[in-house]
Amino acid sequence: MTFILESGYAFWNPLIWIIVFIIVMVIVYFFRRRGQKGYKKDTDQAQIFLCGEEVPEAEQRHIRVGNIYWGFFETLKEYYDQILRPHTGIINDYILWFVAVTAISVIVLLIAGLAK
Amino acid sequence: MAALITHSPILIIAIPLAAAFLTIPIGMASRKARNALVIGSLTFVVFLVFALARDISINGIHLYTLGATSPDLTIPTGFMVPVRIILEVDGMSIFMGIIWSIVSLAAATYSLSHISSETGQTRFYTLLLLMVTGGFGMMFTGDLFNFFVFIEIASISGAALISFRTRFADTQEGGFKYIVVSAIASLMILFAIGLLYAQYNLLNIGALAQAIQYTTLDKIALALLLIALAMKTGMVPLHLWFPDSYSVAPASITGMLVITSHACMYAAFRICFTLYGGVINAPVVGWIIIIFGLLTMFVGVTMAVFQKDVMRFMSYHAVSQLGYMWVGVGVGLAVLGNTELLSTYGRDAMSGGIFHILNHAMYKPLLFFTGGALFHYTGTRDLTKMGGLAHKMKWTTILYIIGTLSISGIPPLNGFSSKILIYESVYQFHPILTITGIIVSILTLASFTKAFHSAFMGAELPEYKEVKEVPKSMIIGMVILAAGIVFVTLFPSLVVDWAIHPAADALIDQGAYINAVTGAIP
Repeated sequence: MTFILESGYAFWNPLIWIIVFIIVMVIVYFFRRRGQKGYKKDTDQAQIFLCGEEVPEAEQRHIRVGNIYWGFFETLKEYYDQILRPHTGIINDYILWFVAVTAISVIVLLIAGLAK
Repeated sequence: MAALITHSPILIIAIPLAAAFLTIPIGMASRKARNALVIGSLTFVVFLVFALARDISINGIHLYTLGATSPDLTIPTGFMVPVRIILEVDGMSIFMGIIWSIVSLAAATYSLSHISSETGQTRFYTLLLLMVTGGFGMMFTGDLFNFFVFIEIASISGAALISFRTRFADTQEGGFKYIVVSAIASLMILFAIGLLYAQYNLLNIGALAQAIQYTTLDKIALALLLIALAMKTGMVPLHLWFPDSYSVAPASITGMLVITSHACMYAAFRICFTLYGGVINAPVVGWIIIIFGLLTMFVGVTMAVFQKDVMRFMSYHAVSQLGYMWVGVGVGLAVLGNTELLSTYGRDAMSGGIFHILNHAMYKPLLFFTGGALFHYTGTRDLTKMGGLAHKMKWTTILYIIGTLSISGIPPLNGFSSKILIYESVYQFHPILTITGIIVSILTLASFTKAFHSAFMGAELPEYKEVKEVPKSMIIGMVILAAGIVFVTLFPSLVVDWAIHPAADALIDQGAYINAVTGAIP
């Protein structure tokens, strides 16, 4: 079967997943249809309600990229301090890394050759 | 038709090359005719590549000797070794060729609108077609020196394309960094080729593979080749130039540059498995590749989460995804000498890594194209300035979601198919490889969700009231790649049986590659 991918230990069939997904969508649609019928688009019903407070403008409401995952970056601050250090933007540094990695690889291959 | 297939390896290289130079006079006469020439020539190349792939699946390795009375006459009369330029296309080469042909066509289609307001468009298409020529050459050549020539063609045209939008200072810096890195890498490759030629008086990969002794000079040449190519693919810690250059190129070119990185990765695999396959200290080199692959996955994704520039964000993800391929194929290399382990999980790990090349070649250019679509109308790559774009750019949003789900390995998208092959096989080699892979996948999804929310979600921002969906040709370029994703999603087994396993077997079966050229069993 062209749909079934054998991974050596298990199998993967995207069709099963798609069928399950469709069934779930049908169930969701069924519940949605049982919801309130009185909803009217483009009326006050569709406006944002913040407990009576004034709703900020769109650009002030939008959570910008710099505010997302703040806790993640704060927790990993030390890691990021270290990992950002080689990203200098200077091409000379980039080539130095190349020289260093090549030298280490040559040494490892030569030592491994001696051991062999 | 038979003659066309016989000559297809050279035609696939020559047609874009001829079209590259024809775009100049035709472009001076008519813009539409130039565009038709670019798209027509690349469409014909796609046809030729698939015809050649079919031929290879039936008849095995396809040889093409330039200048010989017959294309399969690899060793001239009176000679003991091949001396002519030989194109040798096996399962792995044609697999790369299929990817390159489709992405090139999608990128050229996307470019029709994407660079329509730029000056010097004819030069853009000339360079694009030259890059296509270089890429095919790298994939099809059976000769080390020709590989060097083709990588130079691809690199020089790539650097010029990165710098194409000369009104931006960062494009000039990105192009400069790319050409410096490429020149250093090419120089080291040439030096390594010189070391091998000095010892064996050979340049043909098959003939060299038969003669190679794994001397000290061979080991130095191996390290030079491997690390130079690894730098071109953006392997950590040699990835530092990658986001600087890839993020500033026109999005269509960034999509193609990703595939040139794949081509360099292919070359590294070809060198490890085919050129050195019989003599290499496989566990040591395999472990080197695996360690650098793990670093590439993890550092790439953690740097990506941190980014606020949409194209740098995607560039770091490209780095991260390349790590999966290194790890998958690295495991295959590490157990190359052990037939039992190779058949138990090594071949599956390699297949997973190679399958991931195919999947990455579709979703990553697609994501770069969506990034280019955002830049096309907002005029910024800064995610902090974006928001609410899904209201106006519905097609781009849907295509971004497809790419995001695919790169994050969310079932049932194609990224999941290759990742599960990698996870299940490399787990047997060492569980830490699978654990790292899963963590990287989670971080990938988290970072793409962050970028999606920043750019597409939220209320419509007043500064983007006038934004509209990108032109049709850009949508078509993205849809070509999304269609590929859907196809591989639905028929993973068909793709694996028809393209992935033959590619993995082509790398493992060093004897077949050598035998095709030399006519002797090594």
